Amino acid sequence: MLQYTIRRLIGMIPIIFLISVVVFTLAKLMPGDALSGKIDPLNSDPEYIEEMREKMGLNDPIPAQYVRWMSGVVKGDFGDSFIHKRPVMELIGDRLPNTIVLGLTALVITYILAFLMGRYSGRFAYSFGDYIISAFNYLGLAIPSFVAALVAIYIFAIHLGWVPASGSIGSGVEAGTFEYYLSKAKHTILPALVLGTMATAAYTQFLRNDMIESSRKDYVRTARAKGTKESAIYNKHILRNSIIPIVTLLGFDIANLFGGAIITETIFTYPGIGYLFVESVNSRDYSVMMAITMMLTILTLIGNLIADLLYGLVDPRIRLS
Amino acid sequence: MEPSMPQQTSPGLAESAKPPKSQSPWALARRKFLRNKIAMISLVFLLIVCVMSVLAEPLTMPVEETAKINLTQMSKEPSAEHFFGTDKSGRDVFARTLHGGKTSLLLAFSITSAVIAIGTLVGAAAGFFGGWVDNALMRFTDFMMNFPFLLFVIVLKSIFIESSTGTLIFVISVISWTGTARLVRSKVMAEKENEYIMSAISIGSSSPKIIFKHLLPNVMSTIIVQATITLAAMIVAETALSFLGFGVPINIPTWGNMLQEARSPDVLTSKWWIWIPPAAILTLTILSINFIGEGLKDAFNPKSNR
Repeated sequence: MLQYTIRRLIGMIPIIFLISVVVFTLAKLMPGDALSGKIDPLNSDPEYIEEMREKMGLNDPIPAQYVRWMSGVVKGDFGDSFIHKRPVMELIGDRLPNTIVLGLTALVITYILAFLMGRYSGRFAYSFGDYIISAFNYLGLAIPSFVAALVAIYIFAIHLGWVPASGSIGSGVEAGTFEYYLSKAKHTILPALVLGTMATAAYTQFLRNDMIESSRKDYVRTARAKGTKESAIYNKHILRNSIIPIVTLLGFDIANLFGGAIITETIFTYPGIGYLFVESVNSRDYSVMMAITMMLTILTLIGNLIADLLYGLVDPRIRLS
Repeated sequence: MEPSMPQQTSPGLAESAKPPKSQSPWALARRKFLRNKIAMISLVFLLIVCVMSVLAEPLTMPVEETAKINLTQMSKEPSAEHFFGTDKSGRDVFARTLHGGKTSLLLAFSITSAVIAIGTLVGAAAGFFGGWVDNALMRFTDFMMNFPFLLFVIVLKSIFIESSTGTLIFVISVISWTGTARLVRSKVMAEKENEYIMSAISIGSSSPKIIFKHLLPNVMSTIIVQATITLAAMIVAETALSFLGFGVPINIPTWGNMLQEARSPDVLTSKWWIWIPPAAILTLTILSINFIGEGLKDAFNPKSNR
């Protein structure tokens, strides 16, 4: 297991290298460069601009620029943001906690909802409740997340006024106080609900089908023959076996949550990584954009690794090699 | 036992009791699909949406008209004159919904065709030839799969200064073919083991001929189901990108661009007719495509007997 993990991690290095080449190339292909955001509109003297370009190394050959960028990245230095005039890592460090809070809350909501609905559907398959839940699932799969977010804002934030429609914190709230956390929770719950609820359909269906399949297995018949109570059969025997495969989906979700956050965060103007990414693309803040792209791509790699590892962990029949 | 039993059976029953040996898998699938009520209702709905979108111009007004700003007709509620009311620039929402549907659906169909074509070619080549071809193609596919979809579409899209629908089709297709390639490869690999492929190889058929005439028709059912799933996903992708401002240029009406209006709190709060129609039709369209996909999957599955 450990050997396998180490081998996989080492195997990632060339892939990360290739990814960095792709990200750097794409950034270089984009119109304008690091300087266009920095030029002082009052001082657009061509000589001055040329001097600045020389100073920032933008006149160096592309491979040299790549090496300079990459040697910084390896040390965890992604350069400075042209818009925010701060180191990129500092900026991301500011926004990342927001995204993590949002993502984790959404994940918890997904798992709780999917567990409850899947358990009910699996136990009472083809009942009225099961049909309601599967109708909900079909709707969940069909509604694009941004439409769901709009509807959620319309109903819960505007008409019912339960929660604020945007931002991550109320104005004039002091950090660290009880009000601060309350305000934070209030701002997070709606985007998290949208993000979390939209993801339940796949999980619910997975759990339901697995439970139906398990309920036809021999060990269940044995349990019934022994006179085990029906509730105990479902809660103790079947559920325990069916819940395991769902855990493996967690790995894929890590990257998905951050990617999905782009849309949700933008709609709720929630200051996280996704929103920062959209902002940075719009304002051509390349160093920020490159950093986030690199980070999320590597996160996808790690997520896939975690999924594979969990798979081997929960199902010993699968040999990782 | 009643001896008169055979005479009592109705002619219709006798017909359906005939051994279905003459039916091809395609005919079987078609019969199963036609009997699937939800899938048929969805198909009819999707056809209506498609036809109305295609006929947007004769039904309402030319595209150029929908872009015209009309200051006397700003934010009018739905009425007999404007079925869905008008938006903040006085443009007719009904006409824009139809024209938007035309663009959104056309884009989704184009992207889906491109994605399925690339994915099928890569997957079939990798699965059929095996060896180093398979290795090289699949390593490349795995590599492409690492890139988060939305993130890279946005990055790729911003390379092009002049954004048009063409660049959007290109950008999304370039990233989305990987899943199809993997699926087709696994199906082709399984299908390749059959004797008829062996005999085709042994009589000296060329590889392209085997792939296109023998292999692909037999994995076609999988590809069709994959295409419907892709179609739904691509409608979402286009609208989401347009909504975020990275999709179709804002002057062209699409469902995503129309929904972008709802990003202003005023529209979202008090002018529901501007954003509810595209949102509802968008959702219903995706829902119906999903149902059709499910129906097709069921119809092609020889084990299901509905």
